[in-house]
Amino acid sequence: MSDPLAPLIPRIAAGDRQALSELYRETETSVFKFIRSRMNDPFGAADILHDTYLDVWKGAAKFEGRSKVTTWIMGIAHRKVIDAFRKGSRTTLTDEAPDLEDDAPTPEACLAATEEAGHVRHCLETLKDEHRTAINLAFYEDMTYGEIAQVTGAPEGTIKTRVFHAKKLLMRCLSGLVQRGAVT
Amino acid sequence: MTRDEIEGLLPFYVNDTLMGEERDAVARAIAEDADLAVEVEALRAIRAKMQAEDVTAPGEFGLARLMRDVERETTIEATPPASRWQSAGLWQVAAAVLLAVALGTALLPREEQGVGYELAGVAPAFTVTFAETATEAEIRDTLLRAGLEIVEGPSALGFYGLAPLPDVATGDARAVLDGADDIVTSVEEAEDR
Repeated sequence: MSDPLAPLIPRIAAGDRQALSELYRETETSVFKFIRSRMNDPFGAADILHDTYLDVWKGAAKFEGRSKVTTWIMGIAHRKVIDAFRKGSRTTLTDEAPDLEDDAPTPEACLAATEEAGHVRHCLETLKDEHRTAINLAFYEDMTYGEIAQVTGAPEGTIKTRVFHAKKLLMRCLSGLVQRGAVT
Repeated sequence: MTRDEIEGLLPFYVNDTLMGEERDAVARAIAEDADLAVEVEALRAIRAKMQAEDVTAPGEFGLARLMRDVERETTIEATPPASRWQSAGLWQVAAAVLLAVALGTALLPREEQGVGYELAGVAPAFTVTFAETATEAEIRDTLLRAGLEIVEGPSALGFYGLAPLPDVATGDARAVLDGADDIVTSVEEAEDR
């Protein structure tokens, strides 16, 4: 299936600002949602969004069309977020597997907890960045694990592992809310 | 495929991006295991809640900021290379001119201040202010209806410069702005300035 945004990229590379405006309007909300899902600072997120599209403007000529345009833009945004974290020393970026205890979450309790958007948001915020990124791209953007691998620059196997752990931790957190009585 | 592998693929089954054998294997496992089926239901609920989250993006303001910096980048690229200025004599002349301009600006009576930066080649047809209570979505809707885009601002006082899109008559755009008086609190046309 052809990418409807792909024709905009050569126009942007040729200096067509109207094409950049079109691309921005088409993709801005998704990209901003992705950035915001990873940082709690709306102003910082707006700055990263801005820098991402400036890079799109400057780097359009280098886009080779091997991925979807949104995947390419998300990849730029992903790297900008990591740079911001590193500058602010806000997080350590590791690929360690989290400790998963044996107290497996019950899917039923989890399902009850998802009734409240606030519970889902809270539990997402408890995840480490690489886990949150993987689950966000899978669920906000409906990306394949291959596309998530392209965005993050990690191997597909690593993405599957991250999604596996992210899902477990998310469901355990949601179940925990039920068990602690936050959800009735 | 192991149980862990199946579980790892459930989010991709839920977002409907699995294909071929992987999809078939996961579907079979779900059909045979009630716990997996409930887990899929929970993941579907999580995904639905995440997608329903409302996030307000910078919108037209962000686009105006981007276009301002794109313009700035383009201007910098068009500036003659530094090597042309590397003669010591030229630097001295340039420094003297800058000093004279700075002193002149400081000592002469000030003209009325403009609204802020201006994008080269895109002159604003209107200078407007928006109501403090106006949301980004309302402003975006008004601009789209009027066929206008932000080409300047916001200034320190909250002024925005607007220019009509190609094929949009200034009078028509003005009528929309005048009709949106709950969003647009002041409108000044360029020829009035």
